[in-house]
Amino acid sequence: MMRVASLFLHPSLLALGLPMNRGQPMVIAFHNELQLQESLTLEQIRAELRGLGAALILVARGAVFVFQPDDEVDIQGSNIGIRAAAVDELRVACGFAPGAPAHELSLVVLSGGGSVVARHSLLATDSRLALKGLAEALSIAGTQAIGPHPATISRREVVLASLVGAFALLTADGCRPHAPPPSGPAAPPVPINRARKITLNVNGQAHELEVEPRVSLLDALRERLGLTGSKKGCDHGQCGACTVLVAGKRVNACLTLAIMVGEAPVTTIEGLAKGERLHAMQAAFVEEDALQCGYCTPGQIMSALGLIMENRAHTDAEVREHMSGNICRCGAYPNIVSAIQKARLETVPS
Amino acid sequence: MRNFDYQKPAQESEAIRSGQTTGARFIAGGTLLVDLLRLDVEQPELLVDLSALPWRQIEVAADGVRIGALVSNSDLAEHPAILAGFPALSQALLSGASPQLRNMATVGGNLLQRTRCAYFRDVAVSACNKRKAGSGCAALAGYSRMHAVLGVSDQCIALHPSDMCVALLAMDAVVHTRGPDGERSIFLADFHTLPGAHPEIESALKHGELVTHVSLPKTSFSARSAYVKARDRASYAFALASSAAAIDLDGQIIRQARVALGGVGTKPWRCMEVEQALVGRPATREVFQAAAALAMSDARTTEHNGFKVQLARRVIVRALERVGGVL
Repeated sequence: MMRVASLFLHPSLLALGLPMNRGQPMVIAFHNELQLQESLTLEQIRAELRGLGAALILVARGAVFVFQPDDEVDIQGSNIGIRAAAVDELRVACGFAPGAPAHELSLVVLSGGGSVVARHSLLATDSRLALKGLAEALSIAGTQAIGPHPATISRREVVLASLVGAFALLTADGCRPHAPPPSGPAAPPVPINRARKITLNVNGQAHELEVEPRVSLLDALRERLGLTGSKKGCDHGQCGACTVLVAGKRVNACLTLAIMVGEAPVTTIEGLAKGERLHAMQAAFVEEDALQCGYCTPGQIMSALGLIMENRAHTDAEVREHMSGNICRCGAYPNIVSAIQKARLETVPS
Repeated sequence: MRNFDYQKPAQESEAIRSGQTTGARFIAGGTLLVDLLRLDVEQPELLVDLSALPWRQIEVAADGVRIGALVSNSDLAEHPAILAGFPALSQALLSGASPQLRNMATVGGNLLQRTRCAYFRDVAVSACNKRKAGSGCAALAGYSRMHAVLGVSDQCIALHPSDMCVALLAMDAVVHTRGPDGERSIFLADFHTLPGAHPEIESALKHGELVTHVSLPKTSFSARSAYVKARDRASYAFALASSAAAIDLDGQIIRQARVALGGVGTKPWRCMEVEQALVGRPATREVFQAAAALAMSDARTTEHNGFKVQLARRVIVRALERVGGVL
């Protein structure tokens, strides 16, 4: 097998001309049938990719797809054609046998410097299983790849060093053929566990979780507790789709670290209805037709509840001002104001 | 997002000790830091969570108000002593961000708010002296409509985005800190630093030093104050230009005045030239306009943000009209 210092410099990869950020870690996955469609599993894959800071290069039959974790699901725009022979070359470069067996899902994780930090194969007989397998494999690979390093050198320094190395190689070497790399075994990654046990009190129920400090309350709710009512719009505190109540106050769950929530009670949209009976605010949104696509609605409703508890907005103008943290791209604003005014008059605190 | 360690000290001394660690960052409300973590602009090794520290009090005394660093922007804006005694501060806070963010964001965090410069926030752009010292400034040749025109340097034109700090500046606020070398009191006017040759340095705070509280002295002018903010939409937007104004009137004659600008400077900007032109003069629109015309004389504009010069003078007049009873 040909071995080069950085797989980024391997002719078979360079030939693809991938639209990559320089020095970005990369996951290359081979599967003939795999399609990425919107699903819970895809969210997991996104989360793993974000964790790795990596792009996913999916090599399917006749085409290569580039998938950045924050891309829209429609990845047709990044579709690059590839011949069967080139697929084989790439497989070999990644350390797999040429000629992909049917149903085999194989993947490698490349560091920012282009070296293989994890490799994984499994059998997946259809696209759905392959997607699930990909999520699991990424999770395993992620633990292998995001390793800690000897105490004297931080992980950031390692990543930085590999990035610097990759840039230097890319600029100096261009596309010239590559000399064999200096030999020597790579240090085996040692798993680091920064996860902590926390208890989240959500909608009156205590949930024990183990989360890394970087996990947002929104991701903990959606991806760990399956409470997908709170939506991820911008993930930067700009749209309000993730609004939940923490200790009775409305906050952006995307900018809240789960580990910082502590014992404070969290209320999400799932906690409002009593059985089949909708909360007055939910009912008002339905009655006033306060939505079109509905994506922002859980955040609008939670924000509206916060607003009512703050008891500071009374006129329509005040409601609009104090709901400005919730963006509705369908422009259902007039009916949202009507719904809030209707529910406010029914539930106004004395 | 990169991974990091996390600590939640129960004691101030413990927080200061943890904060000394290389790669440590303090976190309070998190509205800015989590955003910048996700953008990969901030890359801490350790987050030191301050939320267990007892700094959530607003204490009112005869000589002024003492505001704990962990008081939320909402709680401060709604506090009766602030509404009555420092209305410009309340108005500035309520004009900033969204209700959700104001519930989370703290006074200490707002003091240390970082720029919204798109080039600073985009790590794919390599040139940003603030993010990476000595790498250059993409904004200078880029799209700079939102950028600063006062206090700029050849290394940085990033705007200071805070509304709260503008009002605090007009009210002679003092920032109190504690660090390994003990306690310090810093006038807000001296707290933020100009970019100069070192845009990566943004305040007088040292690594591991904590803001414990902010004090507002009782003055003759703070109760007669207002904050006016011009922006691209009616709510939830950063300032194109804003002004905090406060005056003390003897009949119709201005005894003392404070005028500060936001949305135009690399730090909150006090306009002493305007203040001096107001003192001893009657509170009329003509006097306000003549005084405001003195502001912005040092502005260094780009092809995109020249409009800020006139806009800033107009928001000063509007704020003065509001406090002077002219409107």
